[in-house]
Amino acid sequence: MNTIWALAGIVIKELYRRKDFYVLFVLTALITIATGMVNFFHDPKIVRYVKDICMLLIWISALLIAIVTTARQIPAERESRTIFPLLAKPVSRWQVILGKFLGCWLATGIALLVFYAFFAIITGSREQNWPWLSYLQAAGLQWAMLAVVIALSLFVSIVSAAPSSTTTICFIVVAGILLVGGHLNSVALNQAEPVQTILYTIYFLIPHLEWFDIRDRLVYDWAHLVPWRDCLLAALYAAAYTGLFLLLTWLGFRRKSLNT
Amino acid sequence: MKASPYLLLALVLTACFTLATGIEPRAGSWSNQAKSNNVFSLLFGDGRRMFANQFFTMADVYFHSGYYPSIFDARKEGTKEIIAESHGHTDSEEDERKEDFLGKPKDWIDRFGRHFRITEHTHLEQNQEREILPWLRLAADLDPQMIETYTVGAYFMCQHLNRPQDAEAFLREGLRSNPGNYEILFGLGRLYYQNYHDTDRARNVWQLALNCWMKQDYQDQRENRLGFEEITVNLANLERDAGNGEEAIRWFQATQKVSPAPRALQKQIDEIKMKMAAPSPAPTNSLR
Amino acid sequence: MSVILKTEKLRVEFTSREFRQTAKVALSGLDLEVNVGEVFGFLGPNGAGKTTTINVLLGFVPPTSGAAYLFGIDVRQPIARQQIGYLPEMTYYYKFLTAEELLRFYARIFGLPRAEADKRIDRLLKLVELETAGRRPIKSYSKGMQQRVGLAQALINNPDLLILDEPTSGLDPLGRMKVREIIQRLKNEGKTVFFSSHELGEVETVCDRVAIINQGELKALGRVSDLVAEHQSNLEKVFLDIIGYQPQSTP
Repeated sequence: MNTIWALAGIVIKELYRRKDFYVLFVLTALITIATGMVNFFHDPKIVRYVKDICMLLIWISALLIAIVTTARQIPAERESRTIFPLLAKPVSRWQVILGKFLGCWLATGIALLVFYAFFAIITGSREQNWPWLSYLQAAGLQWAMLAVVIALSLFVSIVSAAPSSTTTICFIVVAGILLVGGHLNSVALNQAEPVQTILYTIYFLIPHLEWFDIRDRLVYDWAHLVPWRDCLLAALYAAAYTGLFLLLTWLGFRRKSLNT
Repeated sequence: MKASPYLLLALVLTACFTLATGIEPRAGSWSNQAKSNNVFSLLFGDGRRMFANQFFTMADVYFHSGYYPSIFDARKEGTKEIIAESHGHTDSEEDERKEDFLGKPKDWIDRFGRHFRITEHTHLEQNQEREILPWLRLAADLDPQMIETYTVGAYFMCQHLNRPQDAEAFLREGLRSNPGNYEILFGLGRLYYQNYHDTDRARNVWQLALNCWMKQDYQDQRENRLGFEEITVNLANLERDAGNGEEAIRWFQATQKVSPAPRALQKQIDEIKMKMAAPSPAPTNSLR
Repeated sequence: MSVILKTEKLRVEFTSREFRQTAKVALSGLDLEVNVGEVFGFLGPNGAGKTTTINVLLGFVPPTSGAAYLFGIDVRQPIARQQIGYLPEMTYYYKFLTAEELLRFYARIFGLPRAEADKRIDRLLKLVELETAGRRPIKSYSKGMQQRVGLAQALINNPDLLILDEPTSGLDPLGRMKVREIIQRLKNEGKTVFFSSHELGEVETVCDRVAIINQGELKALGRVSDLVAEHQSNLEKVFLDIIGYQPQSTP
């Protein structure tokens, strides 16, 4: 476990020493503040559009950080040859995978905390209202979803040729699931065989990441929280898919020849 | 003698500035897009109009607090732009059923997913309607020729948010972009009558709206009969409230020609006639 | 004398997917034994299979057949690498880390307590003459400094077996001398050093035994002095004879 935490620490250090996170945060902050400064019909109390835009930017930034950071972990280690002195230590490949996953997930979690803190400040300053439990649920569910995304990115990085192609593939898959995944059953109903079977198979196989997107509840000040039991079930669901992708990653990585 | 690089830099900068001053007056005639002071026109040209619809839909989504059908949800034709249909009346049970696009869950994934979605049909109220305004503002900027943006925005500003000055400014902006549009003129007239209680101004504007409606070609008049009905019935009510019974009757009779409920209007006409026929009460003499 | 490193009929084949080429045999039945406390030189021309052998020993490449053992443990077990130190030929480390942070990271992997790790890091940075540069990011280091960081990380766990792949590659004469001194010091401490090199002069100076491989096969194995005596020439000539080098006759 010590090894895994040590590897995770390296990933986190890399994230906050690279400029990506700061650029994304500054961009999100600037756009949100600029959006909030626009005067619509002389009403300073209009706030939902700011929340909507800020949450969208947070989601995009978090996905960017998660996918781009993860996509380059193992390929960059191989390309820069840092994997050799690492694996020459008593470190198994499974530990490398877990360490990289944990590091990327924790790093993304830290980024999420910063983003949500900013969101709370901006919207709270207008609304004078801080629904902390809603923020907690939204951030927690998003973090759980990012675990699946990170595990998926790790897996694709093992099979794909380069970090850029991993990033592209993962973005397309994740965006596809978020936008269309929940509606595949409706689309399948109107199709003839065998397309219907194919769509249903995809529908039941893919991780339903759209469950974890509860931005609407924050933006529209929905009074009721998601039942905690459902949050827990969703987290378990995310954990299951995360475990599946990590296992696939290990199966792909364990026998890969690494030539110095 | 070798030229100093700083001298060369100064010469090149001077040349650039000179060229710019020479070319700038000519460049204005190359493209209208470049002349536009609207950032969306500058960025997208005429393509900006396709975004305007999307922003109007966003206003609708906000009005329903996120409970809104996606392109994958089955819904009947004509349920688009719910906000435009609903402004002015509250939803009946039938409307509620019509707008329940989700239906029964199709499978366990759908069922579980609804725990995270917004699944209740609501409308914004208690001044929360202000949240739709930014999207209407953007829609108007992107497509100034989309009339509904102005009429819907003005309706909510007047009737729900008690901001008639902003509504008037918005409608006038719409009129500048769409001169002679009867719908915007009708909205203005309603604002003068209901919010400012300025009968004369309302009458003038509604009559102007009617004239504009009449200037349409026959086909448009056939399609926009509702517009004629709205203008004439409001004129009729205005005249009735102002005590001009004959004018009121004239307008109600004009409305009857297009109204699907002429009997209800006849009832109104009869009431006015009865009121006109009733003897006026004798003036009281305080010296008796 | 106990054996610290052993290969048994080690065979490694690489199959190229492109053009459906037949498998390339990188190692063919390599039998090797390195004893505790000796400095063992592993020689061969480019493409002979030296790096492949080291890759197998470190678990980077699985053998096609045969086996390899470190401290009697199969090299496929991570625990086999608990007491080894490895210096790769091309030294690349996490550029965003400082030398201190890198050594602390590796110390943590070996499970060293914090206090012990701090002591070792200070000692090693002094040994490789990086004590003033220890807090600068590695991306600012010259090649020689990176090589020295590599040596330091290879020694962080006080290994009983050091595997060095071209340890003096890219170093100036002073750097090479320092590496030789370190190897000699390790030998005096009873450590085992297994290194591949093209610098035959160095090998002749420090090694107890050498193995010479060519085209994946072991061609010679024995003490340097014995090989030199047998061929009645220096190690370079012995090497060239064994790999079958024929000088071109001058017209």
